[in-house]
Amino acid sequence: MEIMTLVVTGPVGAGKSTFIRTVSEIDVVDTDRRATDETASLKHRTTVAFDFGRLQFGRNRALHLYGTPGQSRFDFMWDILIRKAQGYVVLVAANRPNEFRYSRRILTFMQHRSRVPLIIAISHSDCEGAWTPENILVAMGYNAQKPAPPVVIVDPRNRASVAKSIVKLVQSAMQYTRSFSKAG
Amino acid sequence: MFGSLSDFSLGELFQVLEQGEKTGRLTIYSGRRGESQKDRISQTPPRNYYIWFRRGFIVAAANSLDNQGLSKLIDQRSWIEGGTSVLAPGFCNVNLPLGICFKSHGLITAEQLKLLFSVQVLRQVCQLFTLLHGRYHFDEKAPLAYPEMTGLSAPATDVTLAGLRNLKDWSALEDKLPEPDSAILSLVEGKPHLKLNQSELRVWEFADGTVALKDVAARLDLSLEKVRKIAFRLSVVNLAEEFPLLISASDMMNLSLDDEFVDDENNLFFMEEQAVKAEAPVRKSNSQEFIAPPPMSDDFLQELMRSLNNS
Repeated sequence: MEIMTLVVTGPVGAGKSTFIRTVSEIDVVDTDRRATDETASLKHRTTVAFDFGRLQFGRNRALHLYGTPGQSRFDFMWDILIRKAQGYVVLVAANRPNEFRYSRRILTFMQHRSRVPLIIAISHSDCEGAWTPENILVAMGYNAQKPAPPVVIVDPRNRASVAKSIVKLVQSAMQYTRSFSKAG
Repeated sequence: MFGSLSDFSLGELFQVLEQGEKTGRLTIYSGRRGESQKDRISQTPPRNYYIWFRRGFIVAAANSLDNQGLSKLIDQRSWIEGGTSVLAPGFCNVNLPLGICFKSHGLITAEQLKLLFSVQVLRQVCQLFTLLHGRYHFDEKAPLAYPEMTGLSAPATDVTLAGLRNLKDWSALEDKLPEPDSAILSLVEGKPHLKLNQSELRVWEFADGTVALKDVAARLDLSLEKVRKIAFRLSVVNLAEEFPLLISASDMMNLSLDDEFVDDENNLFFMEEQAVKAEAPVRKSNSQEFIAPPPMSDDFLQELMRSLNNS
């Protein structure tokens, strides 16, 4: 089986689970764990949740999608996921400016760990208080000196919209593959 | 661009306006949305404040849109005999900052203009950082208010630094402060271009993405809270950014996954196994250690695209 692994990351509530569920052909799997050792008495509940979805195509080919945990304290889980990823989507809710700083934190972490292709997918762009993509990118640290990665507007509930986002990422992956081949 | 300052603080807003090289008018409403008269009792009455930006620089500020703010400041100081009102209508070109006009006619000096700008912009805007629950609206189509402009300007981040240094109540910014487990990473080459105070400079020395803020605090013998506030200041003025560090081995050992979860996805199990057995990541950035999984073949990607486009 030939598998491409994509990671979907972003703050809680940006639509990661929905994004994966919408395109997955299997029921999305999520994990939710309790601390089972002595720390359980100190920490009421330790959650390490990530979503998993799959899209099979061709005979022996599949796309695996992993959603990162939303909490920054699980950096190690992000690290494990990013090590496997051949691309990632940073999902940002346009109407939640209070989360832009956290999204930027995720991006900083990811970009210092991996150079695989990424896209920024902006959700909730039709909601009240939504910022324009241009302003969101500035809030996330992109400007004239630091060009932004590809950006798409996405409705995580809509299969065609999610598929379009992944296509955008795949296009970046193709360029990456070609540059990798040239370098190699 | 509009919203609540409790969601997106003034410092962050200034950062966006400067980095985005925005031109327009920022309006700050000091009252909360939907706040009733009863709620406001014993509080300062809500007011509107206006700040004009030109390509990311603050060029003027006022608390009304009557275009009289700068003239009033000049009149209060009696710098023009008879007051600014004695000047004939059309004395100044409507598309020229009033300060420049008066200076070119020898009515006020360059030093006086600097003082006016300090009073009108720096002092007034710095006060706005104390607003915890105001609302903002940035209108990119609003014209510049030339009668309120001295002709001088200041980078928004200069004002942010001064405003945040004087801020006493940080409660609205609590969840924006960098995490104790994060480091900070410099965004500039060499030394900072802004004038930092001693504490800021000491924290700045650690802006290499390797030392967690809680360790910075311990090493500098400063409170963690103070270090986090400084790190926030450095980040909103574009000198540094928060850099999350990997969770430590000891923290990881505190996290034990139970085995109640059963699924037939080998890949998922692989992930979970790795999560538990992962070799102890250490609290450092590993910023040079880029991970490059083998890219997918062109053929694979083409087929995936076809599949997605048909879905």
